[in-house]
Amino acid sequence: MNWPQLLVTVLTLGSIFGVVTLSLNLQYARGGMINFGIVAYFAVGAYTYAIFTQPPPQGLDQYKFGFGWPWWTAVIVAGLAALVFAAVTGWPTLRLRGEYLALTTFAFAEVFHSLLLNERRIGNGTVGLARVERPFGDWGPIEEKYVFAGAAALLLVATLLVFRRLLVSPYGRALDAIRDDETAALAAGKPAQKMRRQVFLISAVPVGFAGAVYAMFTTLAQPSLFTAEVTFIVWIALVLGGERSVYGVVLGTAGLVFFEEIVRAWPFETVRSAQIAASVEHVVTGLVFIAVLRYQPFQAAATRLKVSK
Amino acid sequence: MLLLQFFVSGVATGCFLILATIGFSLTRRVEGFLNIAHAELLGVSAFTTWWLNSHHGWHVLAAAVAAIAFTALVGLGIARVVYDPIRHRGPAVLLITSTGVAFVIGGALHGLIGTGIRTLDIGLAHRYEAFGLRVTSHQLIVVGLAAAVSVSLALFLNRTRTGLAIRAMAVNPELAASRGVNLSATSRATWLLSSGLAGLAGVMLAVLATLTTDLAFAQILQILAVAILAGLGSLYAVILSGLLVGVAMDVSAYWIPAGYRPLVAFAVVIVVLLFRPAGLAGTRDA
Repeated sequence: MNWPQLLVTVLTLGSIFGVVTLSLNLQYARGGMINFGIVAYFAVGAYTYAIFTQPPPQGLDQYKFGFGWPWWTAVIVAGLAALVFAAVTGWPTLRLRGEYLALTTFAFAEVFHSLLLNERRIGNGTVGLARVERPFGDWGPIEEKYVFAGAAALLLVATLLVFRRLLVSPYGRALDAIRDDETAALAAGKPAQKMRRQVFLISAVPVGFAGAVYAMFTTLAQPSLFTAEVTFIVWIALVLGGERSVYGVVLGTAGLVFFEEIVRAWPFETVRSAQIAASVEHVVTGLVFIAVLRYQPFQAAATRLKVSK
Repeated sequence: MLLLQFFVSGVATGCFLILATIGFSLTRRVEGFLNIAHAELLGVSAFTTWWLNSHHGWHVLAAAVAAIAFTALVGLGIARVVYDPIRHRGPAVLLITSTGVAFVIGGALHGLIGTGIRTLDIGLAHRYEAFGLRVTSHQLIVVGLAAAVSVSLALFLNRTRTGLAIRAMAVNPELAASRGVNLSATSRATWLLSSGLAGLAGVMLAVLATLTTDLAFAQILQILAVAILAGLGSLYAVILSGLLVGVAMDVSAYWIPAGYRPLVAFAVVIVVLLFRPAGLAGTRDA
């Protein structure tokens, strides 16, 4: 097994998905919103980046738009697109709470997925957009993949810092108050509904950026990369790390990605054994998920730490 | 004429959706959470039927009965081992846990069965024609079963002791317990019933469609659409909303490509939720 390669991949993917998990954590642990369609915002970022960087359509291409913009403008547009998408989907759904919100966000993600799959004019339908631009070449003696992993990690750190700044501010305390006791917070003059909507919008932006970086990493924007499975994986990572704990969330994501990459990188002899390994990966992921939710070991550890301090 | 034909097949689709959703809604009503793994139980049943039928040469009816019983027991087992110990953590944790369960069942099915398409060893569907409209015998079976299940479920919940206990428990567990309802026995009955209904829907899935291991997961989307539309937890509204979603999906194929069917289902749901945030049967404070 090629360990350095594995570690670089884990760092890159872990950072990308870490950003998504952090945003989900902000929505769920602080805003009290269950977003079961987080993959759609991720996909919006990836497709926006691909569409804005690729050359105009030619030959067999079925997509209608390709702007050929420089990569950094496309990344910014990807974040904005996720914001707009959050505004559009948030408008009808955020009046709903709890499981209704979970189901409608899930529904929106599925609708978006089926749109990408069927509407060839957006991104070639099932084929997807290939050869998405990767901005960083080799950086002197440093190979491209290391530069790229560094860029992804930088995005993660930036997101972490911004979110942490936000949460220790008076704004963050108001959010906590709304989550803990909405009636009391309303009585204290905190606009609960409005602030929840703001959190929903703010947290969509980094997900859009992460989507753009993911499209660069895979050099591909294809519907099969953005299924409900991504949503579940991110949720599992969130639960694994322990909600409300920012560092736990990042560690949980890294651990999950590490586990998946090991299974993927394992040299299998036959197609059938690789197939079985893939399903075993599914089963184990599910079992870990169930066990963590039941015993909540990380949360218990965090409480113990706090008590002993 | 073609439009009418789509409408007829939409009714059949809707009846399948009723069968698939009613167990899901029953769980939501009595146990109080959304069991995402419900759709995977359809897969368990469908593949058990297939395995008994085409590997062991059982008659399809015998295979179906065995599969339904097996699925009911699997559902009960999962509830006892996984859901019961974390019930006090609330519906959100249960909902998220059930996606974990869906992963486990889905992965296990995939590992045991493998990729590829499979069909039951039964004859091709008989076709009937009336007034220029075509109906297959399989479609008629689905419609008949949906009607039979709806009626017998209503009778069961209104006339039998267990049925009344289930309804009492759904409304107020403590009060029901103080009036002599055995809660754990009632919960057991509910899980057997809802998983058995998933089993029945799974058999129909095996009859109607060619089986792949990711087929079951695809059903959860439509089940959710129907359940939200009906208002979570309401049972009679499932009949109406199942038909509505089924007809909307199939009739839409008249104008737009069939690949958009799930999209149509959710478009209906989103429009309805905009005007009635708690679904068709929902009350304002639900």
